[in-house]
Amino acid sequence: MKRYTQIEDASRPASDVSPWKSAGTLDLACVGYGLIVVAAVLVSYVLGVFEWLPYDPEHISFGLLNAPPGSAGHLLGTDFLGRDILSRLIVATQAYFLPGLVAIAISLVAGTVLGALAGYRGGGVEVLVTYFNNLVDSFPRLVLILLVIAVFRVDIYYIMIIVGVTGVPVVASLVAGKIAFLRQKHFIEAAHVLGLPAHVIVLKHILWHHCAPLLVIRATIGMGEVILIETSLSYLGFGVQEPTPSWGNMVQAGANYFFQGKFWPSTAPALAILFTILGFHLLGDGLNGILEDRSGK
Amino acid sequence: MKLSALKPVALVLSRELALTALLLLGVSLVVFVILFLAPGDPFSVLLEGQMPSHEARAGVREALGIPTTWYGQYFAWLGNLLRGNFGTSIRTGLPVFGEIVRVGASTLYLTLGSMLVTLLIAVPIALHASVRGATPFNRPFTLLAYVVSALPVFWLGYVAIYLVSRQLGVFPLVSQASAPTERAWLYSLLPICVLGLGNGTVSEVVRYLREELSRVMAEDYIRTARAKGASVWRHAFREGLLIPMTEIVASKIPFILGGAVIVEQVFNWPGMGRMAWQAAQDRDFPAIMGIAMVAATLVRTGSLLQRVVYVAVNPRASQQRRGGGWAE
Repeated sequence: MKRYTQIEDASRPASDVSPWKSAGTLDLACVGYGLIVVAAVLVSYVLGVFEWLPYDPEHISFGLLNAPPGSAGHLLGTDFLGRDILSRLIVATQAYFLPGLVAIAISLVAGTVLGALAGYRGGGVEVLVTYFNNLVDSFPRLVLILLVIAVFRVDIYYIMIIVGVTGVPVVASLVAGKIAFLRQKHFIEAAHVLGLPAHVIVLKHILWHHCAPLLVIRATIGMGEVILIETSLSYLGFGVQEPTPSWGNMVQAGANYFFQGKFWPSTAPALAILFTILGFHLLGDGLNGILEDRSGK
Repeated sequence: MKLSALKPVALVLSRELALTALLLLGVSLVVFVILFLAPGDPFSVLLEGQMPSHEARAGVREALGIPTTWYGQYFAWLGNLLRGNFGTSIRTGLPVFGEIVRVGASTLYLTLGSMLVTLLIAVPIALHASVRGATPFNRPFTLLAYVVSALPVFWLGYVAIYLVSRQLGVFPLVSQASAPTERAWLYSLLPICVLGLGNGTVSEVVRYLREELSRVMAEDYIRTARAKGASVWRHAFREGLLIPMTEIVASKIPFILGGAVIVEQVFNWPGMGRMAWQAAQDRDFPAIMGIAMVAATLVRTGSLLQRVVYVAVNPRASQQRRGGGWAE
């Protein structure tokens, strides 16, 4: 399936007007909401690292089990061991933050290199890269991760290497598509005629000037995917283990009480997952609408 | 005439078939390398405490009929795979292949059903949005598709179980396996709907279908059809809906299989996903390896089918290299 098609828009000549000025309200709203989520994640991560928390996230109090939000100073209530949910939600951002950045860095760097090679060189290199992309795409991510967990018993950082590698094909085909499109342009031709070396053209004129928005967008959406994978794994009992909180194992731990009508301990982390992933997706799509997809609409 | 129309199609399909075989070979190599790099070696266990020399190790391998080189081991292993011998599960002691076939059917049922659910949700939203443009009526639905895609599917499963079984009392809270057979399909509806909603692809499916359909609706031949009063729908269906639908479904199979791992866990569904989870828990190498191979084969089969549909619907595809899984 083609992932990316750049449509030449003849009706709209290239202008110096900032894309932000002509952006649609809906796209701006998406980006705004996404930025709020990013800020919230960053702040939570810093708060968690410096342990500026309302309560100790691992402090157990049997007097106050599964308390509803707002009771006795616990803003978001407590879980089945009486631990403060807000503090645990904040600390749980650590479960995916750094590992997620590792995964995204791997997919962006490797994907850009492969995509640039395939898009600029074409020919045999392109066939090889396409083969690699199709090969990696053949595995369901979760199954591949479970295979690696079964064989190597690894921790979250090694899992995130797998996540990073499985994220390479999307980036590679996006970059390759973009370069194949840009190569027909006059300014690249002019750069060739001027005798600029290939690495300058690729690195500066193509990647730096024209692929940066694409990569930022991909990184945002990638973060959403990483959170989904990390929470799914810790829900399944792999990755981060109790008592260290992760949004996934918090949902899992609250599950038994869910069916007794105590929804909150498992719903709070689920909502955190929902709003965060939604934020990263909307940020990516909003940026895409503003910076990349400037045809039509 | 008929033959000349058929020939290029056959050519394209045989090329696709060869590519699928080549990719599956690569898949098997990846799985083998992962297993090859696994720490711990049965021989070190066998020869434990004997401080064997290199020659002694090679001798034991030879005596057991095991190739000493890595490629020798790979081809021996591949030959077994091709004969359907996936090894014996460490946990159950049963042949892995038979077990996968047994549980694979219920996973296939779950995933195919949930794909249908995803399409049933996404197609109307995409149709309305691309034909009418963004209206106050369909915009909330598009947003809803985003929200649904971000929902963690495990929590969605709990909510569904609670609402349906506790509040409405419709579905008894038992797994499909223990249900009476004549009503088993009824119990399976809930996990299918949950996976269809929560596999995280709804918003992407909506967006892709909407973009493709809008693109086709703006084509000249649709304008011509409209001008001469012919059915726009009949002209737009193939290019605008059928092909994009098969493309997006084929490319989302890995996600849906991944989602099945979680949904099967939530609903205690006796499928491949649960088997994969159990195998990862118990370090049951043969089982998880077999599942990875079968899952990759399913993914490749899906995209092969997509190409078949594409070529069948659009014979021009044999002449031009448009929209190919390989060319692009």
